[in-house]
Amino acid sequence: MFDVISNYFTNDWQALILVSVVCACLTTGVLSPIVVSSRLAFFSDAVAHSTLAGVALGLLLSLDNPLTLMVGVAIVVALIIASLRQVTTLGLDTLLGVAMAGSLAAGLLMYHAAEKGYAGLHNYLFGQVALLGPTDMWALVLCAVVAVVVGARWGNRFFLLAVSRPLAQARGVPVARYEFLLIVLLGLVVSLSVRAVGLLLVNALLIVPAATSRNLARSVRGMFWGSLGVALFAGLCGLFVGDYLLLPPAPAIVVVAVLLFIVSQALRPLLGHHVAEA
Amino acid sequence: MATEPLLKCEHVTVSAGGRKLVEDVSLTLPRGQLVALIGPNGAGKTTLLRAILKLIKYDGRIEVNGRIGYVPQRLQYDRTLPMTVLEFMALTLQKRPVAFGVAGRVKARVQELLESVGAARLARSMIGGLSGGELQRVMLASALQDQPELLLLDEPAAGVDIEGEATFTELILHQVREHNTTVVLVSHDLSVVSDITDQVVCLNRTLKCVGSAKDLLTAETIAEVFGGHKAVYGHHHHH
Repeated sequence: MFDVISNYFTNDWQALILVSVVCACLTTGVLSPIVVSSRLAFFSDAVAHSTLAGVALGLLLSLDNPLTLMVGVAIVVALIIASLRQVTTLGLDTLLGVAMAGSLAAGLLMYHAAEKGYAGLHNYLFGQVALLGPTDMWALVLCAVVAVVVGARWGNRFFLLAVSRPLAQARGVPVARYEFLLIVLLGLVVSLSVRAVGLLLVNALLIVPAATSRNLARSVRGMFWGSLGVALFAGLCGLFVGDYLLLPPAPAIVVVAVLLFIVSQALRPLLGHHVAEA
Repeated sequence: MATEPLLKCEHVTVSAGGRKLVEDVSLTLPRGQLVALIGPNGAGKTTLLRAILKLIKYDGRIEVNGRIGYVPQRLQYDRTLPMTVLEFMALTLQKRPVAFGVAGRVKARVQELLESVGAARLARSMIGGLSGGELQRVMLASALQDQPELLLLDEPAAGVDIEGEATFTELILHQVREHNTTVVLVSHDLSVVSDITDQVVCLNRTLKCVGSAKDLLTAETIAEVFGGHKAVYGHHHHH
């Protein structure tokens, strides 16, 4: 086991994987409390699925690395959802359902047109840490920097919004602008991390850490550090143990995170955290 | 400039979907008054407040010469969110993310604000566990953080006082008398009007009447505002 871990610090290629995973977990660990508190879990899922359309478009245009297209498509889809939300009376869940179905179907049609079959698709669904290149690593470093800067600069506003939109509005917070910012940020982060952890799992990493820490925390501070701890622990533990047991890292990371969630759920009654029912 | 009114509304009209929610309201409020804004449900009271807060579009002119504090009506919020009262208040008092902790000077300020509303012991409580009365006090403390000159309280619930603390009415009166704040209590319920109310404003889409409680709360004006189905509460006549 020690050898497995030390390889990540001596071997360049594995160091790249380590940095990528740590950055992806740092990003999701920081954003998870905001995503969960703002009830945007399903939103990040829809945006994650829309990146598949970006991948397909990349194949259709015979691009080597579809990263830019994935980011572009995800942000466009995120902006469309955000704009529709301002003008329609439909619920957000309905809008997201439409967006997810639409972008998935469009993506599959483009795959078909590109005559590539669905062979490479599972790399994007489940993540392919082994295929990561320097570009992906730098994309994830950028993600982490953006997440930390945005969280530090506007985190208080996002939490005020999460407590109550009307209250934030009455306090003079330009509510729509902050919702837009958050949505674009999520689109960016999700699409940049899809290649590393896979789209089915990026969403898990955005939700499970804060879901776990919320179970035990009594404050925003506790929830935040707990979420970051869960994300980083799951990332490193999943990567190392997965490698040791010859398992794919991305699902291993999520399994560790979900196990921590189950433990937190079991511990919750013991801590006597009984929040008044609304 | 001591004589300039705190709030001046001139011919304020708010429309939505072709319907006028508030029509041609002209109103002037001086400083240091306790005002009751009353009217039946759907009379446009909250709409008028939202116009004063510049949250919605309106026709006419609204001039506010001072800072506004606002305590919204029965705040719906996420009660499962792990957040302490201290953190909630710090969200708008410090730039540093509350996730990194609350600054010492902000802690002191929050404690001072909570003490001023008789809720000093709530700083460490989670916002999800607050009772109605406690929440109202926290919201009031939060609204007082910028030392507002105009304080708008939308439907302050009656009978939610915390045991052993000053009553909500006493707190409001303190604001008016000591800080020269004009407090507007908005309600569909006549019980917000009391002996200490300086001015009563009756709204039912249009302004129905403005004046002192004693002069206005006659059977005729109540009937006009509420449509004639509401009995006048006895205690308003015990002057």
